This record gives sequence, C-alpha cells and structure tokens, in this order.
Amino acid sequence: MWPGAEVIDVAFLTEPERELILAVLQRDQELRRVEELRVRRLKAELLDIRRKGAKRSSQDYSRRACGRCQEPLGRLSVGSSRCRSCNHLVCRRCQVVRGGGGSWACSVCAKEGELKKSTGDWFYDQRVNRFMNAPGYDLVRASLRKRPPAKKRETVGEVLLQRSELNPSPRPRATDPQAVDKGAASPQPLGLCVSNRGLSLCFRLFPEISVPTKAREQQGSDAELLERGSLSSYQPEIHSSQASPVLQRRDSVQGPGPGASTLTVPTKPEEAKRSDPEPVSMVQNQFSSSGVTADESDVLFKKNPRRTLKPPEYSRPTSVLDLRENALGVDGGSMGDRSKSVPGLNIQEEEEEEDIDSLVEIHRKSAGSTYSLRSSGSRTTLGSMMSVYSEAGDYDSAEVSGEIVFSLSYDERTQTLCIFIKECQNLAHGDVTKQRSNPYVKCYLLPDMSRQSKRKTAIKRNTTNPSYNETLKYNITQSQLMMRSVQLSVWHYDRFGRNVFLGEVELPMDSRNFDTPLEECMPLCGKVKPENGGAYGQYKGELVISLKYVSPHKLPADKSRGKRKKEESGELHVLIKEAKNLNAMKSGGTSDSFVKGYLLPSRTKMTKRKTPVVKKTLNPHYDHTFVYKDLRLEELKNMCVELTVWDREAMSSNDFLGGVRLSTGTGLAKGEKVDWMDSRGEEVCLWQKMMQYPDSWAEGTLPLRSSMGKKNGE
Amino acid sequence: FSTVSTMTDGDYDYLIKLLALGDSGVGKTTFLYRYTDNKFNPRFITTVGIDFREKRVVYSTSGPNGTTGKTFKVHLQLWDTAGQERFRSLTTAFFRDAMGFLLMFDLTSQQSFLNVRNWMSQLQANAYCENPDIVLVGNKSDLSDQREVQEKQAKELAEKYGIPYFETSAATGSEVDKAVITLLDLVMKRMEQCVEKTQQESPNGGGSGKLEPLPAAERKCAC
Repeated sequence: MWPGAEVIDVAFLTEPERELILAVLQRDQELRRVEELRVRRLKAELLDIRRKGAKRSSQDYSRRACGRCQEPLGRLSVGSSRCRSCNHLVCRRCQVVRGGGGSWACSVCAKEGELKKSTGDWFYDQRVNRFMNAPGYDLVRASLRKRPPAKKRETVGEVLLQRSELNPSPRPRATDPQAVDKGAASPQPLGLCVSNRGLSLCFRLFPEISVPTKAREQQGSDAELLERGSLSSYQPEIHSSQASPVLQRRDSVQGPGPGASTLTVPTKPEEAKRSDPEPVSMVQNQFSSSGVTADESDVLFKKNPRRTLKPPEYSRPTSVLDLRENALGVDGGSMGDRSKSVPGLNIQEEEEEEDIDSLVEIHRKSAGSTYSLRSSGSRTTLGSMMSVYSEAGDYDSAEVSGEIVFSLSYDERTQTLCIFIKECQNLAHGDVTKQRSNPYVKCYLLPDMSRQSKRKTAIKRNTTNPSYNETLKYNITQSQLMMRSVQLSVWHYDRFGRNVFLGEVELPMDSRNFDTPLEECMPLCGKVKPENGGAYGQYKGELVISLKYVSPHKLPADKSRGKRKKEESGELHVLIKEAKNLNAMKSGGTSDSFVKGYLLPSRTKMTKRKTPVVKKTLNPHYDHTFVYKDLRLEELKNMCVELTVWDREAMSSNDFLGGVRLSTGTGLAKGEKVDWMDSRGEEVCLWQKMMQYPDSWAEGTLPLRSSMGKKNGE
Repeated sequence: FSTVSTMTDGDYDYLIKLLALGDSGVGKTTFLYRYTDNKFNPRFITTVGIDFREKRVVYSTSGPNGTTGKTFKVHLQLWDTAGQERFRSLTTAFFRDAMGFLLMFDLTSQQSFLNVRNWMSQLQANAYCENPDIVLVGNKSDLSDQREVQEKQAKELAEKYGIPYFETSAATGSEVDKAVITLLDLVMKRMEQCVEKTQQESPNGGGSGKLEPLPAAERKCAC
C-alpha cells in the first residue's frame, strides 16, 4: 500500500552513504532513459500497425470479411475464426500463433501483446494494482491533491533522485507538509509493518475485499468492474472525506523513521505454519485495487449518480477573463486563425480558453501595438503575428540556398537547452523583385509546434548574410529533450506581404553530445512534407476510453422520461479513463491536462464536455464520464465524438496535446460529405463495438492524433 | 545464453529487473559479481543501501519439442541490496521495482537460513505482487566443512514455497548462472502468461452469447 510518491525516510544515512546511493541512482536513471527511448520507439511502431490493420466501416461491418486484411471470407473458409481478444473475424493469414497450446490472436492483438511484454507494461500494470496508483487512484488523488501523481513507470530510484534534487540536505523534506508533520510527530512504525498495517487498515475500511476473489485475475475482472463502477469513478469531493483516514494513516506509515534499525522482521505465525502445496499462488491480490474501486463506486452510486453528469467547472484566472472581455470588446467578430493552438484545425466559433491566443492577436491588430501581452517572461519571441500565418501554411517559398551557423549546449544545472544562433550565409532573396531579404530565424522544439515551443531571433534588414548572435533558450529536462528535435527555420519578413520561407534544418536531440558545444554550419533544406499519415505522424501518446450506449429500457425510470416523445432515446456514455505518454508542455517535463469533448455535428456548448484538469503528469487519470442524452442508437451513425486533450495554460492559450475522433469514419453524415467523419483504425473499431453491444462498455486505447485537421492522401 | 558486448544502447528486446536479497554477508554482491563478470572477490565489502549490475544475455524460448524457438536479447538489471538492517526501509522500497528475486542465504550460517522466512514475508508485502517469482539460493557451497544448512532442509523449505532451489558458490561459480537463468525463465514465462490472460478477457467479454448479428436495419450505414 504505497501511494505514488510516498516518503522514504533516509535521514539515517551518513553523507558519504547518501552520495554513494545517489551515484547508483544516477546510473539507474541513465538506464531508464535508454529504456524510455526504446519504449517510445516501440509504441510508435504499434501505431503504424494499428493504422493499417483495422476494420474500416466504409465496408459493411458485419460482412464476412477478415477484420484485419479486409479480404472477403468465403462461407467455406475453415481457417477464419474470431480473435478472442478483439472479437474480429480474421482469416488464417492474419492469425498469429503464440505460446503453447495453439492459442492465437489476430495480428494487431498479437502485436499489442508483444508490446505489453517488451515495454514491461505487463509488470507495471500489475504493480499499479498493488501500489494504488491506478484504478483506486482517484481515491489517492482526491486526498493528495497537491501531490503530483505517480507515473506508472516511476521507480523508487526515480522518487529518491527527484527528492534529492529538490533538496540536497541530508534530511529530505516531503513535498506534502502534512507528511512532514506526521513523520516528525508520530513514533515511526517500521519498514515491514508499514505495509502490513497499511493493508489491514484497508481491510477494515473495505471489509468486502478481504474475501479472496476466487483467484480471479484482476485484469479479467476489469470489465465487470467497469460495469459496476460505470457512472461513478469520479467525484473527488465525495471520496476525499471517505478516503482521508486511510491516506493520512498511510502518510504516517510511509516513512520508516530513524528507528528503522530496530526492526526485526516480524513473522506472521500463520505464514510460518502454512503448509499448502502452493501457498504462494493461493493468495491472489485480495486487496486488489479493483476491489476498492468497485466498493467505492457502490457507495458513490447510491449517494448521487446525477451530479456526475455535470461538466466540471474550474476557476479561470481572472486575468484571462479580463483579457478576453477586453479583446472581445475590441473585436468580437472573427476569431482569427486558430491553427497555432490546434494544429490543422480550423474552426471559427466558440470563445474558448484556447482561443485567447487569437483574441490577443486581434486585440493587438486593432490596437496597432506590437508589444507582447504575455506576462510569462523569459521568452525571446517577438510575439509577432506573422507566424500565425506561416504556421497555417500561408506563406511563400523561395528557392532555398545558404547555410545556418549555430551551436547547441545544455546546462544540466538549470535544465536549459541553449541554442546560439550565430549567423546565416548566402540566403536566398525573399523578395525576388527587389532582390532583398529581411531574414529571421524561428525555432521549435519538435514535435511541439505550439507557441510554447516557439522562439525567434530579431529580424535583420536587407541582408542575405545576417549575423544574429542570439541565444534561444528552452527549459526542459534532459530525458524529455532526448525525444525532441530542434527545428530551425529561416524566414524573410515582409512587412506588407507574406513571409517567405528561406530554408530549415532539423536536429534530432536523441543522439546529441552536449559535452563539447561546437559551432555547426548546416546547409538549409526545403520544407519537409508532413508525411507518414499526417495527423498520426508524431507520437503524441494514447487516450484510454470506454464507450457505452445505454439503451432506453436500461435507463432508470424518472419522471421526465414519461413526457418524452422519443421513446427510443438512450444515452451515450463516454468514460475518459486516462491518457498515457502525453507530450510535456510545462517545465519539469509535465503537463496539466484535461480532455474536451464534443458530439459532432454540433460543436456548441450543448455538446461540449470537459474533464477536470489533472496536474503535473504525462499519464493523467481523469476517470470522468461525458454523458449525452436523448440519443437513438441509429443516430450515432451520423455522429462523431471528438475528444481533444489540452495542456491547461492559465495565462495564455491552452496547448493542444492530441485528439481522437470516434465515429463510423465514413466521411459522410446523413449523406452529406463532412470532414469530421474521418475516424480510422481503432477509432472506428471502438465506435462499432459500442454500437454493436449496447449496454456494455467498449474499452480501447487510442493513439492520439497530432492534428485534428484533414488527413492528407487516403 | 551468451553475453552481448554493447551495453549502453537500447538495442535489446526486454529489460528485466531482478533483485538479490538476504541477510548481510551471505554473498549477494559476490554472487552477482560472479554472474556478470565471472570473477570472484573474496573480500567482504558491505553494500551501502543499494547497487546494481547489468548483463546482456540472449534468451531463447523453447519450441514445441525441445527445439529452440525465438531468441531475444535481454538486458538484465540485477539489483543488489544491503542485507544490513539499518538500510532495510530503503532496500525494501526497491522490491517493488523488480520482476524477480534471488533470495539468498549462507549455507554456512543457520541463522541466515532461518531468516529466509522473514525475507519471504518482506517480499510478499513489498514486491509488485503477492506471489512474485523467486529463486532460493544457498550460497558458499564450496565451504563444505563449515556447512550448517543441509540440502534436504533447504529443499523442503523451497518446496513449501513452491520455488526452485540452488546451491551455489560465487567462489567457484558453481550453479550461479543456472540460478539466475532459472529466475529469468520464470519471469519470462509469467510475462507471457500475463499478456495472454489479459488479451483473452476483453472488455466485451468475447462471450459467444453476445455475438448475434445486429438486426438488418441497423447493419447498414445511413448513407
């Protein structure tokens, strides 16, 4: 029973001992960094396979065709069979035999299984059950609001390292003041009893759980758990009160104090006596977190199922509001181009938080001022509006020539990447007629193309050999940096016309050696076409969701229903469980994310839903359900659930972290061509599954698109 | 099984984390040193808290009839823990990060053998699950004249827990590799089972009862 970031008291260590241990942890960190890169690579591969092999709904879904290669299955084809994991009928060629006993899975499920193994997820998924950072997680989070949620892959070493970085004094301080108090005041229980006591406490609170659940694997019980816990896995207000005793207790139990040396391992008498032939395997996760969740959800369910349906409200910082009103006052009409906050997305309506950027832009335009409104200092951006256009693809391109001279360095102490832009040579003419260029250099830390990631140099007038000598800085942890690329592009600034692209270079950071910052001179290249399936090109992480259509007869009877004309109306429930491996937008390598949902075709307040913001994690657990009422199952064929993940940015526009669209993916709604019916692969699968099996949850892990715009090609 | 030379790259298929535990002085560090470097250091240097060693091995699954199946590159991270009690709170915290355990005692120390039971309950409380993969290792088998723990005793205990038992010698290298590889094998098998199990029970149950086709009206697209 350890929560994610519990305190391990290491006060008893001497200074040299501390240093030795830190050195070990440092080595471990290096190993983990390599591993992290490898896992990321593997996951990107899966995306590819998923995209290729999945049923498209452009074909009739229940036609007898292989669910993977789409080859028609003859009536007589004996080889075809249903994959036990995804339920698709697949032909023999798309079956992958694994393990002994002739068991098999379809090609996609097999790859997923492979990945679970090679990424170590099989292990982390199990560990999570025991150490409470996943399903029973909201319970923890509710009480430990301020504590950053643990990553699934976080190791003790990581926790210790972070702590030691935070606080170099021999006596580590916990981030949670409460924990400190407890640690200092209460006589410390000891290492081993810790967990035992934590456990027994848990048993007392949730007596039902202590009855061993017939050796059932908890992964297997997830489905039922979901059924039971359907409506209720959110509502932090309620369980926080219920949960706090456990958690406080846990705090006090966590830190085995200086007295730890007196610990003699207590042996439980039953354990000593036990003489079962298989004593170990018998005790299967009696206290599995799934039990906890189920129990908890029962309680919650009784208490108030309705309130969960309300979209959460979160307080907007007043400064943002002011800004908006201000801007609206100046110009409430056109919202400008949103593409800088949603790559590839072009929607004009709706005064959203994330639109603040464009509003500021408009305000600036109308006020005719050029100063930056953004209060976040440390930026070297010009805050100009021209990049708005260049990012939207509205620019001219010159014949690319010349090179750029720069050097890169990384300051480990401040975790800062410094890009020194020295100069450019032999640039092309941006303005061909006048034979002149006003060049400046723009920089992104890819894959992040948001404003957060943009830096610019000054504009040099009328030269093709500009010398800048400017340093562009990014605050980013080294491990995060390894997954990024520096993109330097050179642009001609045209005051009256369009900016002209003069060339760019892209520098992957994973193989870079920062020890010797050398000046580099690289030839500029033309624009690389956004390839590889466009929107899926970059790995943005995944979103885990569950869909359920609640058919009318399953809905609880309530008064209003009687008056309703449409008797066939049911509800669509979209459970936003968690996201994995989101991109980091905030310094310290985290994001404060939330998920926003629409039920298209309507992109209005009526169908807008949002989860609360989950702070400081790239693997947030939202456990929040969006409910759409009065829907007939039939109607869903012409509808699409659009979910987008955002990094909440209080003082500026929110950053787009990725999104999915769930629909039949036919490209048509009621016979009309629409661009939002563009679901693919697993997105379609899940939607179909939901429609096919009303009243049961269809769960899936969906790759996040890096852009919600139209796909190229196809 | 053979060692692969390059160690710092991500060119491996699985990262497997194992951990050695047991009383102070049973030879955890020398055991791991023997395994990774095939050397013996007779000096006793007490481990401060934690440490780890690495080794790249090639693991091959066994095919249907004893044939060799697929081969994988496995990067082993072998955690070494301090047996001393003062480090206990620290070392037990690391249990949860390991996928398999080498529970070691000293064949020349009855006390270290008696403590196996305690270590066992420590594991059950602090490992990633209640019944992790464990191999029981009686070390210092070369010191036969000082032996205090009989093979039969140890075997019985291992049997009781349902785990394999090996008598090893870090000094001679006897059975060291075998103990580690047996553990690796257990972990790899569990991994396999874990994945297979989760996939066979999909959210929709995959039950055949639910598979009746949709009514004709619903089968077609609206277009």
